[in-house]
Amino acid sequence: MSSPEETPDTIGAEEGTRGESFRNEEEQDNGGQQEGGLWSSRHQNGDMKRAAAQLIEKYYFQLTDGCGNPLCDNPNCASSGKVGPLSSNEAAGKALQLFAARAKLCEVVGAKMPRSSQSLTLGSGVNAASAQGPSSTGSTATCSLVRDVNMAGASNPSTPLPPLLPQVDELSKTPGLTEETLYLTITECRSSNNYAKLRRLLWAVFSNEVALRHSFLKNPESEERSNETLVECKDLDTTGVQSKEELRALEKDLDKDLDCAEVLCVGEGAASICDGDEKENDENQSAKNAILPSALDIGEVRRAYASLFECPEMEFGNTLMNAIVQLLSDSLSIQLRAHRDAFTAIPNNINIFIILIESPALNTTDFIEGVMPKMCRTISQLPEKDQALLVKHLATWEGSRLHRLLASLHQLITIKLLTTEFSRDFTINDEDSITSATQVMKLLFYASILGGELDTPLLKDLPSEDSSTESMPLHDDPFLGVSGAGKDWAARAPPKDSLGTELGIHVLDARTPLVPLSEFYDDFLSDQLEMDRDFAYYKAGSGDKFSFLNFPFILTAATKALGLYYDNRIRMYSERRISIYQQVIEGMPANPYLKLRIRRDHIIDDALVELEMVALENPGDLKKQMVVEFEGEQGIDEGGVSKEFFQLIVEQIFNPDYAMFCLNNETRTFWFNPNCFESDAQFTLVGIVLGLAIYNNVILDVHFPPVMYKKLCSKPGSFHDLREWNPTLYRSLVELLEYEGEDMEDVFMQTFRVGYQDVFGTSLTHDLKTDGDNILVSQSSKHEFVELYADFLLNKMVERQFRAFRRGFNMVTDDSPLANLFRPEELELLVCGSQHYDFMELMKSAEYDGGYTSETSIIQAFWELVHDMSTEDKKKLLQFTTGSARVPVGGLARLKLIIARQSSDCDRLPTAHTCFNVLLLPEYSSKEKLKDRLYKAIKYSQGFGML
Amino acid sequence: MILQCSRIRNQELADIRKSGIKSFRDILVDESNILTWQGLIVPENPPYNKGAFRIEVNFPAEYPFKPPKINFKTKIYHPNVDEKGQVCLPIISAENWKPATKTDQVIEALINLVNEPEPEHPLRADLAEDYTKDRKKFMKNAEEFTKKNSEKRPAD
Repeated sequence: MSSPEETPDTIGAEEGTRGESFRNEEEQDNGGQQEGGLWSSRHQNGDMKRAAAQLIEKYYFQLTDGCGNPLCDNPNCASSGKVGPLSSNEAAGKALQLFAARAKLCEVVGAKMPRSSQSLTLGSGVNAASAQGPSSTGSTATCSLVRDVNMAGASNPSTPLPPLLPQVDELSKTPGLTEETLYLTITECRSSNNYAKLRRLLWAVFSNEVALRHSFLKNPESEERSNETLVECKDLDTTGVQSKEELRALEKDLDKDLDCAEVLCVGEGAASICDGDEKENDENQSAKNAILPSALDIGEVRRAYASLFECPEMEFGNTLMNAIVQLLSDSLSIQLRAHRDAFTAIPNNINIFIILIESPALNTTDFIEGVMPKMCRTISQLPEKDQALLVKHLATWEGSRLHRLLASLHQLITIKLLTTEFSRDFTINDEDSITSATQVMKLLFYASILGGELDTPLLKDLPSEDSSTESMPLHDDPFLGVSGAGKDWAARAPPKDSLGTELGIHVLDARTPLVPLSEFYDDFLSDQLEMDRDFAYYKAGSGDKFSFLNFPFILTAATKALGLYYDNRIRMYSERRISIYQQVIEGMPANPYLKLRIRRDHIIDDALVELEMVALENPGDLKKQMVVEFEGEQGIDEGGVSKEFFQLIVEQIFNPDYAMFCLNNETRTFWFNPNCFESDAQFTLVGIVLGLAIYNNVILDVHFPPVMYKKLCSKPGSFHDLREWNPTLYRSLVELLEYEGEDMEDVFMQTFRVGYQDVFGTSLTHDLKTDGDNILVSQSSKHEFVELYADFLLNKMVERQFRAFRRGFNMVTDDSPLANLFRPEELELLVCGSQHYDFMELMKSAEYDGGYTSETSIIQAFWELVHDMSTEDKKKLLQFTTGSARVPVGGLARLKLIIARQSSDCDRLPTAHTCFNVLLLPEYSSKEKLKDRLYKAIKYSQGFGML
Repeated sequence: MILQCSRIRNQELADIRKSGIKSFRDILVDESNILTWQGLIVPENPPYNKGAFRIEVNFPAEYPFKPPKINFKTKIYHPNVDEKGQVCLPIISAENWKPATKTDQVIEALINLVNEPEPEHPLRADLAEDYTKDRKKFMKNAEEFTKKNSEKRPAD
């Protein structure tokens, strides 16, 4: 390989000129033949040595096999009959001479034939056959392997072989693989037990982008049309662009078609492939009008792979892999870098990648190490709209398959992390394989969201905030560029997620993705990453440095929190600096900190008053470093005092007596009190406190249901959020939805008026529709009912309180990358830390009944077992005995678990009364038995019932 | 305001009164608060057939999407009812509740539980132990307790 060039366009001088002239010559010879011109021009910027080698090869084949054109008059072409018989060595020597002399090169059909060493050894029989023209090769399968069509073939429409395309002119030489060809070859190879032919075929197709692009297409006609578009697109005229758009619009319909076709073909089975193929064709005929140029037949691809991988893999695996490496490293990647626009204008390009990712070999170690890095790199260079097509394709996969591909990418990243030596000058962010794998993972991430269940698109985002918070007063001082820099820093819009826009989806839309989003975390990468650098790259914003913060799905919440910490600190320092400049230049009193003076016995009042002042006068001050001073105390706030402050204030705010929030006993979470007498300002201040806690890196002991964080991320609550918000209600509503009888009105007698209770226990009603009390919920309106009900409970009822709350939160966090980096569930983790399951505490507070004491041996065995449990199992145990896996406010001790003796030793499983936190434990004869029974009980604890 | 939203409860109340279950009668509904019913359980099986037991059914505001709660106002010596009168009835547990469940089904389940204690899921483990191990002793205690604490059974 030549040394890497700075840009693909600067080429080594000597080779460069040579390459140039070759190209010119070729173009002259081809007389403006579009396909040929395009073909050769692809090489001009490439790795020139490889190009030279290919040219020599071309000469070689021209000498031995000829161009296939019976009218050829090139003295150095076998087809012209002017070349005497040559041995391989002689031909090779001559080829070198011709290369050096830049002799004329025919536009050769054979050029697209295998150019590997294998083809050299494979005997000239096949090649000779193809040289004699297609009519004589009709009997051999070889000719039909690759859809080589030339004038001669076209003039002979009686050719019986189906893959040969009639009426295709010479411009559209489109070698492409079909399922049938592959199948024939495999059968032939299997019967002769010689897989050389298969290897050659695979090499020919998979190392050649043109061949691959035209493989497994839906039907011949579409292929023809694709060639027309190809020509059009090359000129980049408007019709080409139009058809491209048309193509994309139709793609959606096509996906459905494909799915149907797939289902059909699965039924057919691999044995009856030919039948299936016929059916497919019929279908294609009927659907012809709807079919577009890039109609790749996924069913065909999959069947082809299936039959291919029925062959012994050692026979073809390496060839396939090498071919793909060749394909990716050679022309594709280079073209993408150099001629991105021209390249992407070619239709069907995406087919190449779809065929590649469909490969069942994708998850093998060899593939991951050998091919995956190149593949990722190439895919990551694709323009967004092509990536979007890939995402749409991946979204049709099953979750498990997507998961396997994801695991392969993780594996690749891990391998690279382990085997690469990173240094100051070469960080993880510079390692191409890792960054491109991350980019490809993003496609998977979106595919997972897109393919899974999405939230109803009906739900619009929350109405934007009052203009008061939108236009935060920025520091307008013109001094020394400092404030300018600060403004810049704050105002720089986060990079738009254009892929998401292209796809029309957002992370927050995900309800049940195909692969759980937490599977995308790469723990190892998150550990190894130097967050300070990554953060700097992130902030630099431009595209020249890769930042993982732009791919937040791959980083664990802890690592991202570190990034956020840097962001907050930097902002605090810049605020402090501005304040000092103000002092020096304007003579204003220096006020570098957000200083709160609090009286201990009036914490809430003082804090709220002080924060309210700041919020009103200069909300920007909230972004200064916070310093708390308790009146009459000496403590200097280096973090500890503010921590205490937050702890005390949260305790009071959530005190039921304060009535700003009410507790749901079932989920142990707090929700806004819709009938709160407190003013909006109070809720704004609570929002500020929450924001300040994040900003100042303090973890709060607050317990909100997940939907609260979702709402903070600007996504309104919907029906499915009720599951965590009020599980019983949710289950009941699901029952209602699942009821299929037509007598719904009689059974449920539910109207569009719903009841609810305020904190004082008063029952109130609300009409979800005007005159709701007289409208009964019916089969046709049940979905509307639950959505309206959920909207009322989660959004409408607390709209005033929540809006005020969010405004406060945004005052502190509005220009931090918080919303870009964290998903709602991660935000929750950020606010309250991971839940602490302190089972020692639970043990100390536990009570015993029915003859048990803390001294009973079974009880001691029980606690020993429990302390050894994984957190996951502890959660399950908690869920089992108390009905919720959440730690109550104040810790597990508040649960007051009661363990009661149920009976003497027996085989029964332990049971629980979740209503009273009672665990009924038979006095098992041994610890082993206890363990077995207990684990069984918590594992199968779904539902409630008598065993 | 309150009465308006209780279409289903009014209907159920009418149904239950009409059905005339022998074991559940004297249903009292505070007209100002239809969310709470009172009634008299009249069990048929010994040892509880020596008396009657007043219960209270509390409907939450979100009814029927949340289950009602049942409390014994009369003390009862029963493995499945605790000293405070709380009872754990699977049909109205949060996990099992179905909005289509009607109150008469709930009452029926409660009566069955009173008549046939389920010592496998006791709220009072000591009583359950007696019930399974020493039925005689349990019956004797329960009968005495019932005579002493329960309400008078209606005449008919």
